[in-house]
Amino acid sequence: MAEEAAATTAAAASNYEVDLGNLMAYDPSHHLAAAPSNREAMREECLQKATELAQAVADVLFALPPNEARDGPLVRLPPPNTRLPREKHLPRPKPPTKWEQFAKMKGITKRKKNKREWDEQTQSWKRTYGYDRVNDDRDIPIIEAKATDEPGVDPFAQRKEEKKKRVEKQEKNRLENLKKAAKVGALPSHIQLAAKALPITGTKADLPKKSKKEDLENVAGMASTATASGGKFDEKLPGEKPPKHAGKHRKFLPVVEGKGIGNLEKQQYDKVLNSILAKNSEDQLDVGRAITMYKVKKEKQRSKDKDRPSKSNNKLKPQKKGFKKSSKKNA
Amino acid sequence: MRPLDEKETTMVFEKLFKFTGPNLKHLLERPAVEGPDPEPGRYCLRLHKNRVYYASEALVRRATAVARPRLAAVGTPIGKFTHHGSFHLTVHALDLLAAHARRRVWLKPDTERSFLFGNSVPKSSLARITENTKSGDGVVVMSMSDVPLGFGIAARSAQDCRKADTNAVVVLHQADAGEYLRKEEELM
Repeated sequence: MAEEAAATTAAAASNYEVDLGNLMAYDPSHHLAAAPSNREAMREECLQKATELAQAVADVLFALPPNEARDGPLVRLPPPNTRLPREKHLPRPKPPTKWEQFAKMKGITKRKKNKREWDEQTQSWKRTYGYDRVNDDRDIPIIEAKATDEPGVDPFAQRKEEKKKRVEKQEKNRLENLKKAAKVGALPSHIQLAAKALPITGTKADLPKKSKKEDLENVAGMASTATASGGKFDEKLPGEKPPKHAGKHRKFLPVVEGKGIGNLEKQQYDKVLNSILAKNSEDQLDVGRAITMYKVKKEKQRSKDKDRPSKSNNKLKPQKKGFKKSSKKNA
Repeated sequence: MRPLDEKETTMVFEKLFKFTGPNLKHLLERPAVEGPDPEPGRYCLRLHKNRVYYASEALVRRATAVARPRLAAVGTPIGKFTHHGSFHLTVHALDLLAAHARRRVWLKPDTERSFLFGNSVPKSSLARITENTKSGDGVVVMSMSDVPLGFGIAARSAQDCRKADTNAVVVLHQADAGEYLRKEEELM
């Protein structure tokens, strides 16, 4: 009986699906034997099954060839082969825009425009949009006056106004479409991101910056000491706390720079070390004395070299006669 | 936690120099093989709540993750700055000093207890002393079995010790291992 049980467990073990990428083992042929009596028994059974599965994972894991790393054997797990369900929902279908509805109703289909078009005004090939474009307002030299025109009205300015209005209308329609899409939850992602960052009206500059407690305290401290006598003799309001940084605000080196010790700190250590070592060093070279000794030595050598040739020609050199006459009086 | 000021660094180095001498350079520049980084870093000094700590770069980097009011200590404490700004070495530095100090003093086995209770070392307890000790040098006090017991300042040079009276003070007590029991609350 025991052998049979062992055999069945062995057979079952080989059928576990082990996904090493997720460190997971799955037994497709497992079902709980008829509803266990109480919670404790169920727990025991679950634990036992879990132990078997964990054992299966460990077996496969330690069967992989290890690489020796500094902290012990290291193994690279293979990519996972269980597909996990989607984290976020599928993108929702956009509601049709106002133009799309109209086009559908009228049966208008999209037609492809060419990049270049023939411009009648300038008699040349021009782009459909952008820099050098067809039907540009600036290319019109003359606008003929119509009967309905009032004198004193600038037709060019009028054209500009009309264009502006058209653009504004288009912008309004675009926003309406986006609002409709937002209602359903189908905003395009780039707009959704932008919308969260900006305030409802205005631009980014209008976002109120929350002043932190430290900023307020700093400013309060600065303001309180910005008097002629440094804020010493001012009466404190009821409930006002004394300033935190009493005295000059010192500047320190950063705690961690790069890997830990920065250049500045190293320099400081070296400087202090060298000054202490130099002060207390016993075999300190007296540089001044050494220089003097060297100089004296050099002088001696030089005078020696000079004397040598002069010693041989003593006879040719004028004999030095004393100018002082002897005080022998001729008696 | 912050690095030391230049003035503070000078004070700390001078105190350490009394014990280590030129070995002080080695103390600061030895490779710190802590942490999982492949290249060993160096040791550095950091100040936290008036206590000076000796820690490796890797440790200091990781300690920046702890908020200042919650940080208890980083690495080995070596001393503290008093209220009026002078620096004293504490007994926690014993390990470090014992490894790097130049002058040592060995006590007779029966007299160890007196030193561990906080008394200065009279000549009668002296078993051995490093030869070229001068007066004012920092000295590590060891037991005959080479266990560091504490440290202090040599009151007399090695030659003067031989001529001195039996009750003359040889080593002025600064810190000893008994403080861990006597001054348990003060030390941390």
